[in-house]
Amino acid sequence: MNIIIGVSDMKVSNDVQASLITYSLGSCIGVAIYDPVVRVGGLLHFMLPDSTLDKAKAEKNPFMFADTGIPALFKATYKLGAEKKRMRVVVVGGAQVLDQKGFFNIGKRNYMAVRKIFWKNKVMIDYEDVGGNLNRTVRMDIHNGDIWVKVSGQEYKKV
Amino acid sequence: MSTIEKIIEQIDALRPIPKVAHKVLAIVEDPKSSASDLAEVVIYDQSLTANVLRLCNSPYYGLPRKVDSIQQAIAYMGMAKIAEMVLMKLGGDYLRAEHKGYDLREGDLWTHAVSSALIAREICEIKKAPNPHLIFTAALLKDIGKVILHTYVGEMFEEIFNLVEKEKITFREAEEKVIGIDHAELGARVAEKWQFSAKMVHIIRNHHLNGSWSEDDVETAIVYVADTICMMMGLGIGCDGLAYRFHTQVIQALDINDRDLQEIMANFAQKFHEVEHLVGME
Repeated sequence: MNIIIGVSDMKVSNDVQASLITYSLGSCIGVAIYDPVVRVGGLLHFMLPDSTLDKAKAEKNPFMFADTGIPALFKATYKLGAEKKRMRVVVVGGAQVLDQKGFFNIGKRNYMAVRKIFWKNKVMIDYEDVGGNLNRTVRMDIHNGDIWVKVSGQEYKKV
Repeated sequence: MSTIEKIIEQIDALRPIPKVAHKVLAIVEDPKSSASDLAEVVIYDQSLTANVLRLCNSPYYGLPRKVDSIQQAIAYMGMAKIAEMVLMKLGGDYLRAEHKGYDLREGDLWTHAVSSALIAREICEIKKAPNPHLIFTAALLKDIGKVILHTYVGEMFEEIFNLVEKEKITFREAEEKVIGIDHAELGARVAEKWQFSAKMVHIIRNHHLNGSWSEDDVETAIVYVADTICMMMGLGIGCDGLAYRFHTQVIQALDINDRDLQEIMANFAQKFHEVEHLVGME
């Protein structure tokens, strides 16, 4: 069963029949985390780096922003018994349009936001596939934690 | 027959957009026209009428009572909204299918089109732009060329993709180099064939701002910005990904800064269920 995660959305699961999947990341970033001991996984698809843009929106939907979405993702997996120290962490997306520079470069700013949050919280990224002009899809199989990345136009690759 | 000749021939094979599209567009762009003018052209098409009524009566809009005529629908929803629904119904017939060559699943190109049109509408409102219905329709139909070009892109994807990677050119430029024509040019020719206005043809041809752009061409700039935002949000995008150019000066000419850009994205993400609703429209 595929559990679809939309834009500004997050899902966690411990259902071994399930796969979490988020399509078409663009400049958005997909953060996939998995604890192999309890077989719990979570996938966040956030869109923007910083919730100070609009506190009310962040309250209504924390998954829109990196700084509110990432903590919410981790907490949701803890509720299912996952632990931070066992977590495998994969970061995908953050693409940019050609010549997109400075403040307008949302993809790059999204990625910098992830790095900053993980650095502060002592989380290591195990694998990342970010940047470029590519459109990416991420899938996680809950039964074994395998994570697959598909660059549009190509096949799924296990990472 | 050359590849380009074969492609051009397919424009003729494409069923022309029903005339009601032109009539509706002309009515809503004319400040002197009335609700009954709009109703009169829509009711001649029974299946279109039924579709628009079904959409209006869906729980999404939560109307206080069921509407059973176009006249009532216009009274509740307004002329602009009904015109948009008509245009979306007509456009969806071409764009809804899967387009494998661009790695677009069924509904993807349609999601992209509706999202672009709604974002363009929002920018028009913020900027009080002229010709909002023309801009809406151009944003909706700008990728109509992909409907024809996708089979060729599929066949020559590797060559196109390698060229994009190696030369850091846009996907559109690579299409032009490898196939001989790109989706924007092809879309413009479809719009010409369908007898849309010169302005509409111009916007579709230049929606990636490949030619020269002048500051007074606000319509093309808005469609371009809406398209760029959809790419960044990953809304119904395919194997061409984000391989198009970001023109900071055009965005600044519209007086949109990075915060505005993020706000448009955030507002749209919150309203995305409207797109899901409209895209699900039969």
